[in-house]
Amino acid sequence: MLEGTSGDHPVQPQPRQGHLEQMTQGRVQIPSSMAGEEDFFLEEKRFKQHCEEFVKHSQQIGDGWEWRTNKDLGDGYLSKTHFQVRNRHIAQDLREKTSDNIEETLLAHVEESLDDSQVAGVCTTEEVIRYEYHVLYSSSYQVPVLYFRACFLDGRPLTLEEIWGSVHACYQDRLQEGPWDTITQQEHPILGQPFFVLHPCRTNEFISTVLTGPWKHNRHKNYIILWLSTVGPVVGLSVPLSYAKVAPEQNSSTDSAESNENLC
Amino acid sequence: MTDDKDVLRDVWFGRIPTCFTLYQDEITEREAEPYYLLLPRISYLTLVTDKVKKHFQKVMRQEEVSEIWFEYEGTPLKWHYPIGLLFDLHASNTALPWSITVHFKNFPEKDLLHCHSKDVIEAHFMACIKEADALKHKSQVINEMQKKDHKQLWMGLQNDKFEQFWAINRKLMEYPPEDNGFRYIPFRIYQATTERPFIQKLFRPIASGGQLHTLGDLLKDVCPSAVTPEGDLRFFMHCTRCNVFPQNLSLRQRTSEESQKGRRN
Repeated sequence: MLEGTSGDHPVQPQPRQGHLEQMTQGRVQIPSSMAGEEDFFLEEKRFKQHCEEFVKHSQQIGDGWEWRTNKDLGDGYLSKTHFQVRNRHIAQDLREKTSDNIEETLLAHVEESLDDSQVAGVCTTEEVIRYEYHVLYSSSYQVPVLYFRACFLDGRPLTLEEIWGSVHACYQDRLQEGPWDTITQQEHPILGQPFFVLHPCRTNEFISTVLTGPWKHNRHKNYIILWLSTVGPVVGLSVPLSYAKVAPEQNSSTDSAESNENLC
Repeated sequence: MTDDKDVLRDVWFGRIPTCFTLYQDEITEREAEPYYLLLPRISYLTLVTDKVKKHFQKVMRQEEVSEIWFEYEGTPLKWHYPIGLLFDLHASNTALPWSITVHFKNFPEKDLLHCHSKDVIEAHFMACIKEADALKHKSQVINEMQKKDHKQLWMGLQNDKFEQFWAINRKLMEYPPEDNGFRYIPFRIYQATTERPFIQKLFRPIASGGQLHTLGDLLKDVCPSAVTPEGDLRFFMHCTRCNVFPQNLSLRQRTSEESQKGRRN
């Protein structure tokens, strides 16, 4: 095996086809015309480059993302904080219910025709919630990982149940069956504080279904934009369409040194 | 692997004598006696303290009790760290028994993960196992196992069954003979003095020349401030997934402890 950092590709003695079949056993079928699994992994260096590109565009459109560096080890992460005002239409008799079934109960009420007495029973509350999103790099899985937390203005953090409840109904089904796994609470590896995390171990699976052709043909695309625009909305984070305009890198060999010059 | 069995057993059966005391501001109906327990180093606080919880809840009113959490000298204890790691990190220089304070109110949201059920502990434990296998075998071994094998790992830990655990874990500790070692060594370095909770990096067990990397090599590469120019350890550091041994012993010999939790030699 070759020694080296995460950017190296170790020599594979076994035939790629067999290796790939083993990997996709019972899961997403990757066409055999695609190259081996290495092609969907994101090296840390490239992660930083794509983050830098991402931040540059964010600054242009005022989307609020910034890069934060950890002074001890020099690694870092993307960060964005935004406030969201949420209008919740809550019928009087629903206030006792848990947020687990509140979505389906709400939908049921919408479908019924409301008579005057029922309309009178609906009240609207406004909640301001502070969301904080971080994008970190996982060297174990060699993919980006989305961390987030949310709290009300009085500092009370949202529970996992409340986080789920705040996700738009159209994503709920996809969440339940989707390959991007579960959201759990975990310790932020750089800050050491509790955050919610979207599990990374299946990221490569669905990234491969999104791309046409192997990753090496898509290297000019920004992995972060591709990935975040897919997983972000699941947890209430939208990526404006304008990111699709992010210009491809000038060199096809993207290990060029000039990309690193502006790393904060 | 079999010649390491004594070491594996020593790590598995390591215990820390602990004294649990109820926080003085908790509201009780009568005096709460301290509770003594031998804690397994390799397990998790919330997994092994049901008796502690019951003991203190007996003297409290139901409405005064919400999620239990533990603290040592003002520091909330992270239940998702192995008990041995918590002790080594916070209390290794103090006399035994380890004195832990028990709380049932004012859960420190900014410091601790919630632990509402055993499922949360299981999910965390399995996530650690999976991440370690991602490093060792690109997740191939863990993904080829059946659900019942995963369950057996967890049950082995939960019920303190060494043989049951290692029947499955040994597969996670093997590698094909032509490979000479894992792809990367799963490790984390915890330091009580830093804000950053741990250091974790990719590190191969074999150097480019084919020689085995040692613990000393790893420390020099990943945490150079821990090693003096002469090669001595500057201060006591604990690699969470292997014992602290003389630096010149190869990491591969120590990889049998990879799934075990840290322990001071």
